[in-house]
Amino acid sequence: MSTMSEALQTFLAESRGLLEAMEEGLLKLEEIPDDSEAINSVFRAAHTIKGSAGLFGFDEIVAFTHEAESVLDKVRDGELALSEAMIGLFLSCRDHLSHLLDLLASDSDADDETRQRGDALVAQLSACLGGAGSRSMPVEQEAVFHREGGDGAQGDAWHVSVRFGRDVMKNGLDPASFIRYLGTLGQLSHVETVFDAMPPAHEMDPEECYLGFEIRFHGEVDKTEIESVFEFVREDCELRILPPGSKLSEYLQLIHELPEEDLLLGDLLVRSGAITRRELEEGLAVQGQESTSDEAAPPLGEILVERQAVQTELVDAALAKQKDVRQRQSQEARFIRVHADKLDSMINLVGELVIASAGVGLIAGRNKDAAMMEAVSEMARLVEDIRDGAMRLRMVEIGETFNRFRRVVRDVSKELGKDIELIISGADTELDKSVVERIGDPLTHLVRNAMDHGIESAETRIARGKPARGSLRLNAYHESGSVVIEVGDDGGGLSRERIVAKAQEKGLIEDAQGLSDAEVWNLIFEPGFSTSDAVSNLSGRGVGMDVVKRNIEALRGTVEIESRAGSGSTFRIRLPLTLAIIDGFLMAVGEGHYVVPLDMVLECVELGEGRSSDEPDYINLRGEVLPLLRLREHFGLEGPVVRRHNVVVVQWGGRKAGLVVDELEGELQAVIKPLGRIFAGLRGLSGSTILGSGEVALVLDVAQLLEHARLREAEAVSAVSVGRTSERTANAMTG
Amino acid sequence: MAKTIMIVDDSATLRQVVGIALKGAGYEVVEACDGKDALGKLDGRKIHLIVCDVNMPNMDGITFVKEMKAMAGYKFTPVIMLTTEAGEAKKQEGQMAGARAWVVKPFQPPQMLNAVSKLILP
Repeated sequence: MSTMSEALQTFLAESRGLLEAMEEGLLKLEEIPDDSEAINSVFRAAHTIKGSAGLFGFDEIVAFTHEAESVLDKVRDGELALSEAMIGLFLSCRDHLSHLLDLLASDSDADDETRQRGDALVAQLSACLGGAGSRSMPVEQEAVFHREGGDGAQGDAWHVSVRFGRDVMKNGLDPASFIRYLGTLGQLSHVETVFDAMPPAHEMDPEECYLGFEIRFHGEVDKTEIESVFEFVREDCELRILPPGSKLSEYLQLIHELPEEDLLLGDLLVRSGAITRRELEEGLAVQGQESTSDEAAPPLGEILVERQAVQTELVDAALAKQKDVRQRQSQEARFIRVHADKLDSMINLVGELVIASAGVGLIAGRNKDAAMMEAVSEMARLVEDIRDGAMRLRMVEIGETFNRFRRVVRDVSKELGKDIELIISGADTELDKSVVERIGDPLTHLVRNAMDHGIESAETRIARGKPARGSLRLNAYHESGSVVIEVGDDGGGLSRERIVAKAQEKGLIEDAQGLSDAEVWNLIFEPGFSTSDAVSNLSGRGVGMDVVKRNIEALRGTVEIESRAGSGSTFRIRLPLTLAIIDGFLMAVGEGHYVVPLDMVLECVELGEGRSSDEPDYINLRGEVLPLLRLREHFGLEGPVVRRHNVVVVQWGGRKAGLVVDELEGELQAVIKPLGRIFAGLRGLSGSTILGSGEVALVLDVAQLLEHARLREAEAVSAVSVGRTSERTANAMTG
Repeated sequence: MAKTIMIVDDSATLRQVVGIALKGAGYEVVEACDGKDALGKLDGRKIHLIVCDVNMPNMDGITFVKEMKAMAGYKFTPVIMLTTEAGEAKKQEGQMAGARAWVVKPFQPPQMLNAVSKLILP
């Protein structure tokens, strides 16, 4: 073994020489930083010592020198610039090596202090290699959190960023243990150690912790669970948890679905799980600190995003939600609840006022007192305003009713296994409260019917080249004094063949020849009609479409169907705006007075003189053929016959007709009084009103009158087709 | 080699129950009935974690942690303190002494195992 001990002596002597050269080189570099010869000599010294030490198996020296050599290699290659701090570090390394050699010479083991010093130097050396401090020695920097692509979290991995405090180890906590524990909750896909905070060797305290970790983590956990992993070290670390990108939409959804309460932004985010209670508290603390300065504190959302506790999108969504809720609440605060009875009795009084006002106007007119007339007309105008205001009190938006169908559509589409989207428009359309209350049932039936029978199954839809997702439309709008509510679907449309077949089977019709599509569609409103082959428990049983029609007619409304094979059908419900007071147009026939809603009156024309009652019932209105309805004949009225007749052109639901009357008496406000039950079977009349003179006028049901005219027209057309009355009709056209 | 956990509590039942749970999870267990007893048992043997009650006769948990932290071989030994919900003030004091991990009494053995595995693994 003597040769080995001799060799050891040689190694020691040689190494000491190399260390001296190293020192010399380093000092030279301090003056001329880019002296390549000096760099080389320093590198060579480290390289040789490492190689020699390896021969003896001095692993400690090898490992240590290896680190120094790697850094020096980079310096030699120009990849790392040699800073003063680095020269200092290498000098410390040289001293450490020298100490190790001394220990070796005295054949003693390295003590703890030496070891720790060595480890610290290694850490600094590898910090140089780590790239973070490539230009200069990493001095104490504020921890910078790595941002990965925009707002951090991408894909389905959580991003956990943790910077341990100095005292972690003194507190008996091992940073690695928390990361290991996190690993038990899921899968750690990437763990990066961050040692930016590592101070130079002489400042470093081996008992302190300078480490941080950037962790990518896959696991089915929520943010609070991840935070609880670091529960015990929470006081001693900075923790950022960014949820995976896939969670983002989940949070957005949760924020959207939170109950309609006025919550603070932070509470919204905590409730949705986007941030933890603790992150919120920290954010608020920061806000509190900043607000002590003169400037106003930044908003919490900004702080949270700045602290990378939450993504910007989520803050925006939460703010939008908050605004939404507050707006709704402030709207609610502007409402008062009034008992409907009070409203009704007021409207009733307003009605009486309208009548009384008309009466006053009549008397004033009779007395021909100009000042009185003036005062009366002023009062009449105000009464009219009051009437409109009172009616508006009863008007509610249909939106609430529509929104109820979101749930219906959701539930029914689940039940049917169809994917159906509800599209609502015109939700702000207003109509009378009593109408809204009673339209719910017919609408529900139409909606269910459209989903069940209208919209096809996803497979059929795809086969027909339509999107798999069906859509159901609810729409409302105002049109000439009425409200139109549409229930539309993009399904297959009504099948003429099946409806006809069914109607024949039920004995509703004999054959479908000469029936228009609209007439065929209307067959489904006949009592006892159902086209569904399989009776479903949704729309096939219970009430039929006939009940729907009856409900709508009870509201003085009509329903019509528009259907195109392959592209869907639309049920259009037309309802009067209000049930109580209308602007009417007064007419006289014989000794009676009649009123039609003014909105339905298009124009008034004079009927040619001398046209007697046996003249054909048509009028050529600027090239348009309109059926005439002679009220005198229609209602079988008696009384003096006038020579000149007038025609009031009315329109309802896209159809027009001329009402032949004796006299036009002008506009009036009509307070509609329902007809007694005894008149329930009367067609063509919908109510009555009292005139200022105390006389009673009947309110015409224009919809029914038009229907009557249409039916008569259809009869006439079929008569024309067999050629019986063709000549007379032709005469009428030219007349 | 199994890691060793020291349980310091004046309740024999607690020591026994926690002991069974920890042994079941693969740890070695050393028991001590108060702070003084525990200090005596820190005789240089390797202890990986200490579970320690706060209120105990002879020497309370906080004093024990302070003394323990001053001992060469145990400066970095993690401690889980057992506290009651009402013990906020004590908790502050314990935090000052360097005890970071707290488990609130009463607790179920799985809770204890969870807390332990956050600090060390078997």
